[in-house]
Amino acid sequence: MTQEARVQEFVSAFNALRAEVEKVIVGQREIVTHVLIGMFAGGHVLLEGVPGLGKTLLIKTLAEGLEFSFSRIQFTPDLMPADIIGTNIIVEDAAGRKHFQFQQGPIFAHILLADEINRATPKTQSALLEGMQEGCVTVGGASRPLPSPFFVLATQNPIEMEGTYPLPEAQLDRFIFKLRVRYPALEELNAIIDRTTHARPVSVNRVMTGPTVLAHRELVREVPIASHVRDLASAVVMATHPEWEHAPDATRRFVRYGASPRGAQALVLGAKVRALADGRYNVSVEDLKALAAPALRHRIILNFEGEAEAVDVDALVGDIVEGVERQIAQDKEPFLR
Amino acid sequence: MPDGSGPHPEALEGLVRRITAQVRWRRAEHYALRGAFYGAVAGVVALVLKVAFGAWALVAAGALVPLGLAAGAVWGLAKRVSPTEAARLADRAFGLQDRVATALEWSNRPDRTPLVAALVADATARVGAVEPRQIVPRVLPREVWWLPVPALAALVLALGPPVPLLTGRFPDLSPLSESEEPTDRSGGELVQQDRRSLPKDALRKPAFDERDFVQRAGTGGAATAGDLSAIFKDTSLATQRPDFNSFLKKGDERLRLLEQVDRLPDLQSDFTASQYKMVFRKSKALTGGLRPDQISPKKLRELLEEMERLGRKGGGSWGSDVAEGMEALEYGQQDRALEAMEKALNKLRAMEEAQRSGKGLRGGRESERGARGERNRGRGASGADEQDFGEGEGLLPGKGKSPSAKGDASQRLRANAYDVGVEGEARRGRKEGYDTNMTGQGGKMPSRLLYMGVIGQYRKAMEDALAREQVPRDYHEQIKDYFQALDER
Repeated sequence: MTQEARVQEFVSAFNALRAEVEKVIVGQREIVTHVLIGMFAGGHVLLEGVPGLGKTLLIKTLAEGLEFSFSRIQFTPDLMPADIIGTNIIVEDAAGRKHFQFQQGPIFAHILLADEINRATPKTQSALLEGMQEGCVTVGGASRPLPSPFFVLATQNPIEMEGTYPLPEAQLDRFIFKLRVRYPALEELNAIIDRTTHARPVSVNRVMTGPTVLAHRELVREVPIASHVRDLASAVVMATHPEWEHAPDATRRFVRYGASPRGAQALVLGAKVRALADGRYNVSVEDLKALAAPALRHRIILNFEGEAEAVDVDALVGDIVEGVERQIAQDKEPFLR
Repeated sequence: MPDGSGPHPEALEGLVRRITAQVRWRRAEHYALRGAFYGAVAGVVALVLKVAFGAWALVAAGALVPLGLAAGAVWGLAKRVSPTEAARLADRAFGLQDRVATALEWSNRPDRTPLVAALVADATARVGAVEPRQIVPRVLPREVWWLPVPALAALVLALGPPVPLLTGRFPDLSPLSESEEPTDRSGGELVQQDRRSLPKDALRKPAFDERDFVQRAGTGGAATAGDLSAIFKDTSLATQRPDFNSFLKKGDERLRLLEQVDRLPDLQSDFTASQYKMVFRKSKALTGGLRPDQISPKKLRELLEEMERLGRKGGGSWGSDVAEGMEALEYGQQDRALEAMEKALNKLRAMEEAQRSGKGLRGGRESERGARGERNRGRGASGADEQDFGEGEGLLPGKGKSPSAKGDASQRLRANAYDVGVEGEARRGRKEGYDTNMTGQGGKMPSRLLYMGVIGQYRKAMEDALAREQVPRDYHEQIKDYFQALDER
């Protein structure tokens, strides 16, 4: 198969999967696209939005469009780590001898929907850490691999914070993107009403298998990125650190901790998927700019002043990107700007 | 150049060469103009020396301009243009989304992926479809605007008589002659006024002195007492021209500024933030852009009281600063009170920062719980449940860092009749009523909100509600009586 054919196949698969999801989900095209980008980049995605915007439905629909095993965990304060990972139970064999047998938890699935993840205690949230990063879990001293591809899609509600545990930074960092699900527009709301109150439910076709997703992930890593585009990604991530010598004023004033190197990885990997989905063979500056907010918004921790003044992290990321680009342009002679 | 096995981006290199040539020509124009300017300046110098050089000065002046022009052009053409920069320029100008720069860079790399060949082919195809045009902007040097000056000067000098050269005589530094006796100017009225020392206010800080004397642009005259516009004089809004249309339509920033000081609590944001942040925000709203004498002492006092309450409740160390601020307010020294408030705010902020969790550090809940546990131990609290859980924790799921809309949970009282009681006495006055106090353990618990801190806001809300007819007319008197009774306390 030629490289052009491989890329074309990726584009077709991407669009087909998005079309299947959009049979059910009205609007939210950007969110759907970013979820798919996160999946093909090999990361996990956190969806944040008020109740009723279709976060859970989006993930369920996505799982229906893929020939994957799917688990859903409704996170509650009394959920325990063993409820997620699994535990050893005593079983009796045919000869009447008793022995321990590992009972797999719901984490052993290709797609894991962690619904309202911030309602569980940090201890339980941390049960996902190893699985999300390493692709395996350790129970009773034995490491057990998770099915591949393994894709965690978590949801959380930004309001009704009573009885919630904000995700620890270590866990937030493991999500490649944090997506903010917006409220639908009037036309979209009309379409939602028409679609969901119809007599016949919409059926979603399975358009992709696990091995296909893995092959596409390999293709994503082959996409070349020019050094100046990579440098821009690094500069943007560095500019989120207030102690960096070239950090913009907004960062110095409002940011306590900047994005980790995972932020730069997320930015570049996401940009590669976006480029491929667009039918391009290389990463462009526009790809980075489009994914800067989803990749960095949860990795920037505001300081006291930033929180007190209710600084919008998305706007801050936009300012940082703009400032870095301006700085780069200023360093060039006017003929080359 | 690419090696034998890699893709061959000749078309891309051709495009880059064309762009490089464009950059060189633009540079040549730029530097040629600069050279012409400096050549003209040198020509003027030559013409000034016409007395010494004679007719050669005219020749030199005429030759220096084209010489400078040519030198500049050669310099511009000779300067190196990076192919990578030229490729990026082409990408931006033709909307190629970094294809050319990436293809050129990766086609030479040994670790190129199979996709690079496809990228080169794609970029070549797109470059072939591009309409060739000038994409490098013309950048005129600043000197070009001043070029007529030396040109005119040269013309005048060329046509006019030669300028006489200086003779080289040193100035006469000998002592003054008898006839030129120095006059005593110290007796003048103006000098006397200058000598008079200005009265100094010992309590005023230098920073505020400076702010008093140095008026910002567009502020107009001095502020008079009771002049509402005075609050804008020292802000960035002072330089803005009023736009009455927008003022009426959607509210001017000045209106918002006025509202900030005593606005109603924003239930969505204020109560989800910590009380420390609320105090911080209030202090910013109170002091933002205003001079000390423009800040309401009442509001300042309320803020200081709230900080004092927070200090008592949270074990903060800013009590002495707050006390100093209150004392300063008693004596009418607002600048000193503000300074004390700043100090207290810094301590408050430091404590809040210290309590917050950080990356790789102990979690917020853990540190909060630990700190609270230590405080409880310090107070001699006993009992297993009190050691394990902080105030209200363990009884409410998820209590911890949760920025609850209801604020921090109150301490749970046990089902003991002696835990809480109410005592009261009748009050005489225009409006009769009862003054009540809580007794027992309940009486020791701090209030969630300082009563005097919110009563003003509620009174304003009441007045608004009455003005907007949101309350049935029959109840108006009753409500007003209630608030009046509160005033009499």
